[in-house]
Amino acid sequence: MLMKYLFAKNDEIPAGSATIFFGFSSIFWFVVGTGLGSFNAAKLAFPDWVTGTELFAFGHMRQVHVLAVIVGWISMAFGMTMMYMTPALGNTRLWSEKLGLWTVFLWNVGLSLGLILLWMGITSGREYSDLIWPIDLVVIFGVLVPLGINVWMTIAHRKTQGIYITNWFFGACIFMVTITILVGQSPEIFNLTGLTEAYLTFWHAHNLLGLWITPVAAGIAYYTIPKLTGNPLYSHRIGHLHFWAIIAFYSTPASHHLMSAPLPEWLKSFASVEGVLILIPAVAFVANILLTMKGKWSLFVENLETKFSITGVLLAIPLNMQGGFQQTRAINWYVHGTGWIVAHAHLALLGMSSFLEAAAVYFGLQQMLRRKLYSLTLGNLHYWFFIIGFCIYWISMTIAGLIQGAGKIYEVPYIDVVVAEHPYMIARWVGGTMVFTGNVVWLYNMWMTAREGTLVPEGRYPHELAYER
Amino acid sequence: MGFKMDQPLYSLSDEQEQDEILKMWESEKHGGLWEGNNRLPMPMVILMALIILTAFMITMPIWGQRPTAAIYQDHIKLMESPEVQRLATPEEKMKYVADTAMQMAKSKGDSRLVGDLERHPLTWDDLLNIAPGIKEVQSGKSKYAIDNYTVLGDRIVLANFEGNFVKSSPAFNGPGGMKSGADDYRERKQPWWDRGYSIDVFYVSYFCLVVAFIVKRLPHFSRKPNMAKAK
Repeated sequence: MLMKYLFAKNDEIPAGSATIFFGFSSIFWFVVGTGLGSFNAAKLAFPDWVTGTELFAFGHMRQVHVLAVIVGWISMAFGMTMMYMTPALGNTRLWSEKLGLWTVFLWNVGLSLGLILLWMGITSGREYSDLIWPIDLVVIFGVLVPLGINVWMTIAHRKTQGIYITNWFFGACIFMVTITILVGQSPEIFNLTGLTEAYLTFWHAHNLLGLWITPVAAGIAYYTIPKLTGNPLYSHRIGHLHFWAIIAFYSTPASHHLMSAPLPEWLKSFASVEGVLILIPAVAFVANILLTMKGKWSLFVENLETKFSITGVLLAIPLNMQGGFQQTRAINWYVHGTGWIVAHAHLALLGMSSFLEAAAVYFGLQQMLRRKLYSLTLGNLHYWFFIIGFCIYWISMTIAGLIQGAGKIYEVPYIDVVVAEHPYMIARWVGGTMVFTGNVVWLYNMWMTAREGTLVPEGRYPHELAYER
Repeated sequence: MGFKMDQPLYSLSDEQEQDEILKMWESEKHGGLWEGNNRLPMPMVILMALIILTAFMITMPIWGQRPTAAIYQDHIKLMESPEVQRLATPEEKMKYVADTAMQMAKSKGDSRLVGDLERHPLTWDDLLNIAPGIKEVQSGKSKYAIDNYTVLGDRIVLANFEGNFVKSSPAFNGPGGMKSGADDYRERKQPWWDRGYSIDVFYVSYFCLVVAFIVKRLPHFSRKPNMAKAK
């Protein structure tokens, strides 16, 4: 069906097609990404499992997992939300449904190719920008630029005078992440080495998180929570504080990832203050969303999408408390290079961000398919597998990180630290596998929703009918 | 775009501008959504102020610095003492050196040195590796004092801080002498006015000013849009 629409006239393509293809692609990549994560965690818990084959070595598989989740699941879920939220917020249609479909097509092709190359060991060797630069050019010019054109043109053709906060984040973040990825390629293209390479690598990594994954997820919550609760957004003015604080304080602390590297110390001092100030946009965001929930907290229990959304917002609190303080000189000295950081990264990507996106994908797919969720029971099963699995992962890796930190500082022999960590590696695998299992259930549930979900009458929202038979 | 400057803490927009913004908020819904004009609750404002204060306090140049090579000076003196030479194993030697250095630190009443020694223990092999570097600095071959060096793996290196000019340098020009000169003549210790930290003071001030300006251009928070009119 996708191939048919790729060559059809724009007007002949049903509205919402790009959203639906993006939505299913994102869930598919979430299953792949978490499946690979579970496989990799098993290798750490049971070191004798699947050995002797280079392709299945941890060093080959780790970055395939990371990139499948970031570029496949999270970014495609962003693409999906942009395809339906941007026009909805401007009371208009998507500027080009056809461009949206080409974007999702090129995205899947480019990502598949990139991950196969990574799996084969063809990599730039730099964390978070592991894809080789020709693939990154596909990501920039085949994915981000067309996505940006579609979003910016839809905003330009809106039928409202004002621009809603969600669209500020969408429009700005696509621009900023494109610049981030372009600049992030410079070590590879210009053969930059040493400290320059290290700094640019983590400038890219930090901004990928700070100017794409976290703010777009927040922008999504600004849509889903008022939509699901029926309440007005608590405050337009706090939205300003959040948006500009992200621009000011999230774009500047990249060097706090390299506190132990021989960068100029003044740069680290600057970054360290900015790093704590990341709490300002975080507090503004959490306050604005939780105050929007006023009088509707029962939905946190009763409504699946609200449950996912608010869980994501609540996870932003520990995320930013950790992020703000773990990068200061005194604390970074202890936790740097340990599982604590792995736990923190999963709190950002699998916790805060993924829960917000899951809510938007649930809501958007039902809305565009005009069908009720096939099974609310399976939806709830997905939620509980996801949250319990995530908590097991996060807590076990945090403890493992503290053990590693102590081992590092007190120069405990490495193998003794490995032995002490082993129970937590098993817990990590159990938690990750629960998340993966929940996602398989989700894919099935959404597939069945598309095929057999009850049709929703005009003028009603699927989530309003969730408990009606 | 009418500006009104007589009550800047109330609003920077004139009444007509405020009315137009409220009218727009009341007359249009974004895909069924609309927005309130509430202020940040006062506890949150206090929390924001506390965050800014904490950001500067916790990263203040006096906190969390990496230990300098100076904390191992007593170790170097002790390692060649007859008491240590008489001990048989590296573990025994190191235990004696570490315990004695700790006692010396405690007797000096230097709590920072005690803390640094607790958090940065060495093995005998580590000590053997860094000893030549520390001795070389102590012999006066370097123009920098030993507390300008940090321990990096098995060697000591000049820290990357850019501090005050060293008094003995030709670039130093009397009290507060900040005459420009080669960085080589600056102390490699984090100064209280650390350049990155100082830039932050201006950066955060500008941010607060700009956001206050943006937010104060909106209608005052006491003027709520009437959502009943929203379409």
